[in-house]
Amino acid sequence: MTSHARRLERVIEVALTGGVFVSGLLLVTGLVTASTAPLWWGVLLLILTPFVRVVVVTVGLVLDDDWPFVAISLFVMGVLLSSLWVAVRL
Amino acid sequence: MTEIPSLVLVLTGAATGLVGALLGLGGGVFLVPLLTLALHVPIRTAIAASLISVIATASASSTINLERGLVNMRLGMSLEVATTVGGLTGGLIAASLTHRQLFLAFGTTLAIMGVVMALRSGRRNVIADANVEPGRLGGRLVEDGRTYVYRVRRLPLAMTASLVAGAISGLLGVGGGIIKVPVLNAFCGIPIRVAAATSAFMIGVTGAASAFIYFGRGDVVLPLTAAVAIGALPGSLLGARLTHKVQARSLKLLMAVVLLIVGLRMALETL
Repeated sequence: MTSHARRLERVIEVALTGGVFVSGLLLVTGLVTASTAPLWWGVLLLILTPFVRVVVVTVGLVLDDDWPFVAISLFVMGVLLSSLWVAVRL
Repeated sequence: MTEIPSLVLVLTGAATGLVGALLGLGGGVFLVPLLTLALHVPIRTAIAASLISVIATASASSTINLERGLVNMRLGMSLEVATTVGGLTGGLIAASLTHRQLFLAFGTTLAIMGVVMALRSGRRNVIADANVEPGRLGGRLVEDGRTYVYRVRRLPLAMTASLVAGAISGLLGVGGGIIKVPVLNAFCGIPIRVAAATSAFMIGVTGAASAFIYFGRGDVVLPLTAAVAIGALPGSLLGARLTHKVQARSLKLLMAVVLLIVGLRMALETL
């Protein structure tokens, strides 16, 4: 594996860990204090974590000049944004 | 729905997260039956909670799988094209199909996949010569100090399975690993550990494609979902660590048994 690929994987690890950690903290806070706002934000952040991962991968691939996979990644991001758009309109 | 103690929900999430990460399935395949059959949670609420829990499980276990070099990122990204389209479609049509139709079709599929896994559990997908070129989507796997090469075969089949897995994920909140992992391993040349890790890597994104819709539709019951997801996080981290210690053949046989049992249980629900 190239050092670029390893570095990208490391950044993805950090993004996933950060998203899971912060959302976990919000969910625990919401459950302990029985308040809705932290639960709402915790769940939303958890759903957004994979989306952030896709954004990170896309940026990494652009920096790597790997355009076929940038196109693939942008397509996936487009599907996720469509889903978000549908959800907002429901 | 009667009030379920948070501790029970946390433990349920932990147990399903552990097994889900161990098998690369995401855990929803156990969580939905547990929530609906044992805890009498309405099916739509259970599916929504399962989707969120599956995202937590997949995200947490992927951090460990990435660190171990088990995730084939290029293959995962390529298959995400199909899983996200399936996930979005599944989330949108979830309301229009009867539960009976879904349970029967899904149960039968799982049972068939269980038989396929059991029959092919002795198969090795790796090439011992580390100098062989793995191709654009293949990769290398280091196991017990030795480097193995694997190549991806039948990509259209992998894409089709991913599309179906995404749709099932959106419809039933089960993640879709239960379809992808057996197909990738048994027919597409991917070693079981790589198939499970790459599937988990995709499941977060697949789940998000339909979770947005469930969230927007108001199907997510926050305290229940939060408790299950909180349990799923440590459970999945433990499962991802344990998967390294379990023999590949044992993993395949365990998955075959799980597929058969859950498949038959779901099919029986329709009688």
